[in-house]
Amino acid sequence: MPREAEPSLNERQFILQALQENLRLDGREFDQYRPLELTFGDQYGVADVTLGKTRVLAKASAEVTVPYVDRPLDGIFNIATELSPMASPAFEVGRPTETEVLISRLLEKTVRRSGALDTESLCLVAGQKVWSVRVDVHVLSHDGNLIDAACFAVVSALRHFRKPDTSMESGILTVYTPAEREPVALSWLHSPFCVTWSYFGDEGEIALLDATWREEQVRAGSCTISLNRHGEICQIAKLGGTPVEAVTLLQCTNTALTKVQEFSAFLDRKLAEDIKRRDKGGLMAELSAENDR
Amino acid sequence: MATEHPLVLPGDTIDPSLIPTHKKQPLRLGPGLRHVPPSTILPTVAGQLVTDLRKNSMWVEYNGGRYIPSQGDLVIGQVARSATDLYFVTITPYTANASLPHLSFEGASKKTRPQLLPGALVYARVTLANRHMDPELECVSATTGKAEGLGPLAGGMAFDVSLGLARRLLMARSREEGGVEVLEQLGAEGLAFETAVGRNGRVWVGSDSPKTVVLVGRALTETDEKALGVEQQRKLVKKLIREMR
Amino acid sequence: MPLDTSAYSLALLRVDGRRWNELRRIHAQIRTQAAADGSSYLEMGHTKVMCVVTGPSEPGPRRGTTGGAAAGASKAAAEVAVSVVVAGFSSVDRKKRGRGDKRNLELQSTISNALAASLHTHLFPHSVIQVSLHVLSQDGSLLAALINAATLACVDAGIPMTDYVVACTAGSTSTYAAGDESADPLLDLNHQEEQELPGLTVATLGETDRVAVLVCESRVQVGRLEGMLAVGVDGCKQVREILDRVVREKGKRMVLEGTVVKGEGLEDMDLD
Repeated sequence: MPREAEPSLNERQFILQALQENLRLDGREFDQYRPLELTFGDQYGVADVTLGKTRVLAKASAEVTVPYVDRPLDGIFNIATELSPMASPAFEVGRPTETEVLISRLLEKTVRRSGALDTESLCLVAGQKVWSVRVDVHVLSHDGNLIDAACFAVVSALRHFRKPDTSMESGILTVYTPAEREPVALSWLHSPFCVTWSYFGDEGEIALLDATWREEQVRAGSCTISLNRHGEICQIAKLGGTPVEAVTLLQCTNTALTKVQEFSAFLDRKLAEDIKRRDKGGLMAELSAENDR
Repeated sequence: MATEHPLVLPGDTIDPSLIPTHKKQPLRLGPGLRHVPPSTILPTVAGQLVTDLRKNSMWVEYNGGRYIPSQGDLVIGQVARSATDLYFVTITPYTANASLPHLSFEGASKKTRPQLLPGALVYARVTLANRHMDPELECVSATTGKAEGLGPLAGGMAFDVSLGLARRLLMARSREEGGVEVLEQLGAEGLAFETAVGRNGRVWVGSDSPKTVVLVGRALTETDEKALGVEQQRKLVKKLIREMR
Repeated sequence: MPLDTSAYSLALLRVDGRRWNELRRIHAQIRTQAAADGSSYLEMGHTKVMCVVTGPSEPGPRRGTTGGAAAGASKAAAEVAVSVVVAGFSSVDRKKRGRGDKRNLELQSTISNALAASLHTHLFPHSVIQVSLHVLSQDGSLLAALINAATLACVDAGIPMTDYVVACTAGSTSTYAAGDESADPLLDLNHQEEQELPGLTVATLGETDRVAVLVCESRVQVGRLEGMLAVGVDGCKQVREILDRVVREKGKRMVLEGTVVKGEGLEDMDLD
């Protein structure tokens, strides 16, 4: 089984020494993110997020199924995370590593448990037919900070997603194809984003945002904070690691809030751009389909 | 450049006029080429075909892929663990470890050999490399008994670069042939640092000031990732120096 | 099901009659299992957990439960392998959880990382410290109880550590939507309160303000965090006091019984 490359002693020492002198290997500030890029696919609900060399693809999809017996009025919403060997040879298919479990738990808590998606609106016929919305997260390239990138991708994909329109007439449920009726957006309540801090040093006194893979290997602890732009905490996870002063954690939360507001504005802008782009292209696509026949 | 070194793809036919001919020496094929008897030469990788008329040899220059050790290569390895009389050294994380005898350091004896902890970096030469055995390394020249710059690397930082850049950096005239001038430029700007380039795609940079190391590292990785030419490298160095001040 | 916490504002008493800054009764014992290297039993209100620590010992052929990625990667320090078993009868609804349950894995990994930061694992290279936790009864603050029990068992096992890792929960009386500033922070949530109110689990290193674990799983205004964290950290100090007393009393009894010899420099130890 291939191992994950361990950083050498020289690298370990140098990264810590440089951090003591306020230097990061790529010349960033401590609270600076790498360039964040977001592209939407041609289909609805495909979001491709790159954060430096980290790249995550999320795809949302929906189908009609039977609801769970104990929740007849709620739709089903799932997030599936897969870390394939494409991202790093240390990942194996079908055997989730601890990282994978923690990432999927975090996404679940951030997006699903915080009620970002109104699952009641996914109900079609109580107890019989509901929409099952599923987001698949694929990590295409791993250079640290998977959590923030994955969370951004999931939220972008869901905000971009359109599910087929339906109607209910005298007990008959009709699901329309995109050609018949324009698909409709999900009922979205708020957009949470993750911000991960990495702590270095014996006392955890150095805090970095958006650590690269190398930095993640050397860090002493981390804390992921999920917020939305209204300043609501959706989840905080500091799962062990070196103890950090409580005051530092509060400061980190406040900085995270400004970052989340930036993310939120960025996503809104991208979505607006995409809608504009589709408006023009939508007409063209219809014309070309006519010509094919 | 392009006319001198034509691009070949796997399975391409090679123009016979490109194959060097020499009266006495036999034709030597380097990496990326395959001889199919009786007289066909096929490239097996995509890259630039390089021919050397004097040595009557030809090979394909390509950037990428994983490192495959070959005899005489200088590499930067990472000590994985120590056995009774040798170190196991990782050259790339995903291949079998190479072995480096405890006594193959300059002036090493049973008592004076360097004690390397797991994770330490060494600059070493590949002495044995073939397909069916784990590679072997040395940190001392077998003929002269001198280190010749090889040995444990103390302090500093190792950066990962592509195999192509590592090879270009190791060329005797890296500016003219390899098109990399970034290290000379940085030196000319008055930075004091030392480097060791491993053929396995790792460059070690050492300096008293971490700032310099970070700067050199950024210059190297950026040159590599954006495939900068000599002129752009100059600009990059100027820009980085300005940022640092 | 939502419970009616509106009564709180009238009498300032919570559903179980506590005030905002009161812990539930904590009862703890150490050295409960004779066969183990270290063991403990802890009750925080109706949350009851048991812990058994084996090791530091040579790793067996079977890898640790949380292992996977960490296993074999670093041999320079002992690995803290945690397993949490939730008994089927521990809560009202008898829910079967599989071995690969993500929530359980997250609990294990959190406890393991929290302990590893306090234990001097570097003193035991190539070894495993196996921490087995059993949940007998659940009534809120589960993670906190597990961490406290694991710390006690590690103390009992005599594994060197910097300080106790102690944990408790804190919450806030208003839901996330309500913007009322008069909301009181609450200490040590029980199951009912955990269901309805926003809360967090915090673990600190001994009496310091340094936070080893901070887990919040509910929506809450960012401004509310400071109050909750302060109350939580304060609660941790109280918990530490209680745990420390338990350890000292057990030590005293063992000296009196002659199980162990009273150490040098402990002349001032009170042996009445």
